[in-house]
Amino acid sequence: MTTFVQAIVNGLGEGAVFALLALGFVIIYKATETVNFAHGSLALFGGYVIYRAKEHLPWFPSVVIGVVAAALLGLLIERLLLSRAKNATPDSLAILTIGVDIVILTEITRRLGTAAAPFLGDPYDSKPMHLFGATVSRTYVVALIVALLLIGLFFAAFRYTNWGLAMRAQAENREASALMGIRSWRVTASAWLVGGGLAGIAVIFLATNDIGGGSGLLASHTVAFAAFPAAVLGGLTSAEGAVVGGLLVGLTDSIASQYVDLNFASVAVYLVMLLVLVVRPAGLFGRVEQARV
Amino acid sequence: MRLKRLTTTGLVTTCAIGLALSGCSVKDPEAGGIGGGGGGARGIKTDVGVTADTITLGAMTDESGVFKVLGLGITQGNQMWAADVNKSGGICGRKIKIVPADTGYSAEKAVPLYNQLKGQALGLVQLIGSPILAALKKPMVNDKMAAIPSSWASTNLDVPNVVMVGPTYDVEMINGLSYLQSQGKIKNGDTIGHIYVDSEYGKNGLLGSKYYASKHKMNVVQAPVSSTASDLTSAVTKLKGAGAKAVLLTTTPAQTASAVGVAKAQGLTVPFYGSGPTYTPQLLDTPAGSALLSGQFLTDALMVPWNSTVPQAASIRSQWTKANPKGEPTFGPIQGYVFGLVWGQILLQACSDGDLTRAGVLKAVQKVSVDTRNLTASLDFTYPGQPSTRAQFLMKPARVPGGLDLVQPQAYVSQEALSYKTPFQK
Amino acid sequence: MSEAVEAPVVTARRDHETVRTAVKYALIVAAGIVVWLLPAYVKNEWLVVLMWIMTGAVGAMGLTMLVGQAGQLSLAHTFFLLVGGVAYAVFASKGTSEYIGFGLPTLLSAVLAVLVSAAAGALFAPISGRLRGIYLGVASLSLVFLGFWLANQLPSLAGSASSGRYAPSLNFFGFDFGVQTPSLYVLNVPMGQTERTFWLFAALTAIAYALGRGAMNGRVGRGWRAVRDNEAMAAVMGVSVVRQKAMAFAISSAYAGLAGVMTVWWYSGLMKPDEAVDHGTYSTTVAISFLAMCVIGGLGSLGGSVIGAALVFGLPLALPLIRSEDTVSAGGTAFTPVVITNLIYGALIVLIVIFQPRGLAGLWDRAIRLVRR
Repeated sequence: MTTFVQAIVNGLGEGAVFALLALGFVIIYKATETVNFAHGSLALFGGYVIYRAKEHLPWFPSVVIGVVAAALLGLLIERLLLSRAKNATPDSLAILTIGVDIVILTEITRRLGTAAAPFLGDPYDSKPMHLFGATVSRTYVVALIVALLLIGLFFAAFRYTNWGLAMRAQAENREASALMGIRSWRVTASAWLVGGGLAGIAVIFLATNDIGGGSGLLASHTVAFAAFPAAVLGGLTSAEGAVVGGLLVGLTDSIASQYVDLNFASVAVYLVMLLVLVVRPAGLFGRVEQARV
Repeated sequence: MRLKRLTTTGLVTTCAIGLALSGCSVKDPEAGGIGGGGGGARGIKTDVGVTADTITLGAMTDESGVFKVLGLGITQGNQMWAADVNKSGGICGRKIKIVPADTGYSAEKAVPLYNQLKGQALGLVQLIGSPILAALKKPMVNDKMAAIPSSWASTNLDVPNVVMVGPTYDVEMINGLSYLQSQGKIKNGDTIGHIYVDSEYGKNGLLGSKYYASKHKMNVVQAPVSSTASDLTSAVTKLKGAGAKAVLLTTTPAQTASAVGVAKAQGLTVPFYGSGPTYTPQLLDTPAGSALLSGQFLTDALMVPWNSTVPQAASIRSQWTKANPKGEPTFGPIQGYVFGLVWGQILLQACSDGDLTRAGVLKAVQKVSVDTRNLTASLDFTYPGQPSTRAQFLMKPARVPGGLDLVQPQAYVSQEALSYKTPFQK
Repeated sequence: MSEAVEAPVVTARRDHETVRTAVKYALIVAAGIVVWLLPAYVKNEWLVVLMWIMTGAVGAMGLTMLVGQAGQLSLAHTFFLLVGGVAYAVFASKGTSEYIGFGLPTLLSAVLAVLVSAAAGALFAPISGRLRGIYLGVASLSLVFLGFWLANQLPSLAGSASSGRYAPSLNFFGFDFGVQTPSLYVLNVPMGQTERTFWLFAALTAIAYALGRGAMNGRVGRGWRAVRDNEAMAAVMGVSVVRQKAMAFAISSAYAGLAGVMTVWWYSGLMKPDEAVDHGTYSTTVAISFLAMCVIGGLGSLGGSVIGAALVFGLPLALPLIRSEDTVSAGGTAFTPVVITNLIYGALIVLIVIFQPRGLAGLWDRAIRLVRR
């Protein structure tokens, strides 16, 4: 029983982090129809900045700087690169983000050199706590709480602010919303800003011994790859879907690695996703396109 | 216009054929390598990589991939050895030259680099990575190329081209268990957990733990992980649930940090024993650092630690520190130096046999035993298919340069390890 | 009157076509001669790089047809490479206590391996038929994960993940491509394993290109494009959407299967699954790289996929060969050839998409048009 509680808590905590990543991913997709292959690199970059800032500053201000940096990097990618590729199809833009991902990953790995792997979860990493009679790592619980707060905040903003209205309008119909006076580039740029920021927050949980494992920050790029199945499973056009998808991926991974084996866990995530897609081809909450002749 | 295009095509074709027939080819089958001809100095037979004044050795290393910490250190050790040899007049009247090639731990990149090196180098003083050894093993046999790999699976001892320096993973695990039992940490009939990377590396370690368990009626609970899995929570939970009295690790350093850290978080206090590659000093700066330093975790190495009092180690240390004043030392430089010493002995043997060809080198390997100036236990390559030694230095993590301290000054070898038959032992 | 005007035009066109055909054949013959002689001039390490480019090109041709012509995004290409390689190893090598093998003739084994890959692609059709765009892309990615896991679970088929298993080289009616003591010389250079395999790869690439061109210019290609442009419309016009999609996946997978067999030959007969799902020959990283090849070359263009392969598969292997003999830095932060290669590779992808969204094939077409004008 304690093992089960542990698996559930781990799964939910990990899933909440995936939800943050998947949410950013979906926001970017909704605004620009671009699949962002560089999402892991946004997280990695934020983490690298936090790591460098921590050499001079306490933990919390460093995290703030890193999150802002990741958000700005997202903005830069959109403004400097994507917006210049006017004739490119969404597929080509996705490939462009692969190029960005390779450059960032290579450069940060080079900069880290042979130094010890950075860890970013100072206040909670590797600290046990007791919950329902089981001993669990604090990281998972903190991650779950922080992620739920942020996601709640996002949904409120999405529903009640002008920015949210503009986002929804543009996702609904880009041309009509432009005609209504919504500045398309602002919506697009802000989507990348938010996506980058969320990735920057996710990394402070990924780069821990508890979730990312012994490679710390270096593993976060790989772990962040799980945002893909999470976002697709929930439906790429749905923010709610991203959250559900993230939690589902986290739970699947945690339960499969606990009760089957570690190697099977990542396959299990994709099998669950495949199963969902066969039943619902646009994900759990995704919009199904109507065919018109 | 039509005519023009026809003419152009005609020209292209003529050019191509003309180029082809304009005498002999520019390509020499083993270009650049053949020096000294059949004769060379003092009538020594040579082929590739040896000229009248230079012996060239390649180093297939990793300077930019996941094992760059290891690769950089070993290459530095190789180069230090070459510099020392050249200072004292070289080997067989020739200077040693080392050509490093960075594979980035990718087999695809290694194949062309090997093809380039095989035209220049007599052999390989270093070869990092089991995927790369796997990709190159057959070409190496075809080319009669000898190499010292930085991986120690006894399953690779099937060909004489693989010159393995130090105890193999299976032997390491046998010695480790034997030591734990000699200290009263485990007893006959206990359950032992073994977390291993599901690869040649981990499986070879498992061979050893299973052998020891069979001799002592122990039960081995297996937890395979893939080499990139970095969060070992579930594996540790599993072993804890099975009531393991000790945990063996044949994992990556990152996985060691995860396993030891998670064990601490879950209150699992049994001893951990890791093979050589499970540890790097950088782990002390991870959240698992305090657990590693608590004495719960032991490991071993084929050679003495960085802060050793052995004179040769002290000399490597001072040279390295002078060249890298800010660098964090690893075990790489000493290991690379040992690899060099082994090659030195092989070259001396081949020289006295009068045959510095690749075939001659392969023959020489099986005649040498190497005194590594107390950097390792004595190495004996005269038994093909067997590890060159079955003794290892037991280590514990410590806050010292290099991150490791000796558990006991002399190398440890167990009775079980001596009686164990490696897969290709004849 | 009208006849009198028309006649010369027809002759002119005929004449024009004769010339074109003549030029085409002359070029093919010239290319053949160049390929025949190249191994006598080019050092082995460069031949090896060229061979790897051709392996990538064959795989990318299959993918570019699927994505560019049939409009189905796939990130599963390396899975079918793996299937092809494993199938070849199983058919061609003799069985041992450790590995399952049938010991069939190598040529037959290669053909069977390609067919097995095609069948695997067709088996995916029920899923690929239901999904579109990025959903299909990520769904197909799960095949790579599945393949990685299966290959690691079944070492008796796929070889162990660390040391692999060996399959024989091709023996083409007595001509051994894996010969170790060659008796054939071209311009006094012995034609050993590398040189012969280079010829083999060049021939396979040419055949793959010709077949792909045939398919794309014919009925098959028209069906694909109809489905790509508008599924509903295609269905109304009597094109079986399900069949077209399944066929596209099968053909694309056959190409990947051939590339998988070539990969085994390139590794001197070694079939080895990866140790990690995101690092190695059949990894997710390479699956994404295949897509990058197609986009860089220009989606749907066979020639473009060759250019794409040269950049994506060729550049990372070629750059480290041009290195100065350096001493090693301790910090590990040096710009090594591998680091520089990756940076250039990433930057090139970005620049090509921004400035040449139709890929390098588009650039080529424009250049040709400029010259012809």
